[in-house]
Amino acid sequence: MVKKKNWLAKNWLILLTGLIVGAAAVILSKLGNPGNMGFCIACFERDIAGALGLQRAANPAGEPILSYFRPEIVGIIFGSLIMAVGAKEFKGKGGSSPVIRFILGAVVMIGALVFLGCPLRMVIRIGGGDLNAVVGLAGFIVGILVGVVFLKCGFNLGRAHEQKKAEAGAFPAGLLLMFILCTVGVIGVVTTAGLEGAPGGARAPWYASIIAGLVVGAICQRSRFCMAGGIRDAVMFRDFGLIAGFGMVIVTVLVGNLILGNFKGFAMEGNPIAHTDGLWNFLGMVVVGWGSALLGGCPLRQLVLTGEGNSDSAITVCGMIVGAAFSHNFKMASNGMGTGENGHLGVYIGLGILVVVSLLFTFCKKKEN
Amino acid sequence: MLKQAEKRLVITFHTTAGAMAMEKLCKKNAIPGRLVPVPRELTSDCGIAWSMAPADRAHLEPLLTGDSDISGVYELML
Repeated sequence: MVKKKNWLAKNWLILLTGLIVGAAAVILSKLGNPGNMGFCIACFERDIAGALGLQRAANPAGEPILSYFRPEIVGIIFGSLIMAVGAKEFKGKGGSSPVIRFILGAVVMIGALVFLGCPLRMVIRIGGGDLNAVVGLAGFIVGILVGVVFLKCGFNLGRAHEQKKAEAGAFPAGLLLMFILCTVGVIGVVTTAGLEGAPGGARAPWYASIIAGLVVGAICQRSRFCMAGGIRDAVMFRDFGLIAGFGMVIVTVLVGNLILGNFKGFAMEGNPIAHTDGLWNFLGMVVVGWGSALLGGCPLRQLVLTGEGNSDSAITVCGMIVGAAFSHNFKMASNGMGTGENGHLGVYIGLGILVVVSLLFTFCKKKEN
Repeated sequence: MLKQAEKRLVITFHTTAGAMAMEKLCKKNAIPGRLVPVPRELTSDCGIAWSMAPADRAHLEPLLTGDSDISGVYELML
């Protein structure tokens, strides 16, 4: 039997996901999250690293400026987890080169903090009129293309195996426990709410953040929304379904900012938490794109997969949190003034690691017994 | 835009490299098909699958070895 399939009927869920993610980003910024940073997986994991004392970025007065256990991250993981359990898709799975994934997670984070944002924030920044993010997008696409070349040549981190559900649930449970302890003030470091010049102090009410995270995590689990996957599918298969979700985020953020009066036009200068060093915006996102292609998903996707019980993704998220700490402790992260003291070195090291990992896992085959 | 949907044999793999190896094997043996994103109805993974005409299954099966990395074989309307 032959029947006709409509593109819209096939891709409505991914378009709806783009709409919800974009709307959530605009609303969270309106409620207090930093400008053009309603959602940013890299920045929020960096703030969690600060909350746990793994990095101690501070202002001249010694007050922490990037420390807050962002509820959005917990929400995304649990939104995905609840949806996966409901759909019987919660499965313990892992064991595919966890150490390499941890390192790649850290490398992706170093690149993201040179650019100042994950791929999701990159499109949110474009929707907010930040043209530096268009430069970042070009780098992200180049990075993914390089990763796809290695995938086509046989890059292989090895297969994941079935694991116990207890292993699958360990990271979400541990994260939830730390979130609760930090939120009630038993442990952790927290930036003073509203502290000037401190992104960690700009935040929406925790309940709004967690609701937004839950909704975004749940719908991303159903739709497989992924920034890296969208470009991979468009390049490798001429399948534009996932990438359309990308476009929808940009349109939604743009329209949302216009409605709220936040849109000041497209410009390179004067954008919130962004620098104008084009070369390093580009190269930072090359690292993110390449690393994400090798990992099989962007930072947002890693959170969603963690919620589905994938311990390889949980290890990647751990790598990203540690990478965020490295970025700030070793002065590799950028700020609104420009790249960090060691930011260039961080990108060179990241690219070097990506070259070595790509070559080793593409061309050095396991010895046959 | 409307696209004709047809019945396809969809083969999924444990790794992306498995899908790439299948593409190579099929090209070498003149078995038509193409790589596709794994259909959402099969799994929540965002991996790569091999899609081919069900009628060619008989040509493919004798070529498969124990280490072909296949995780599932399905017939679907794509």
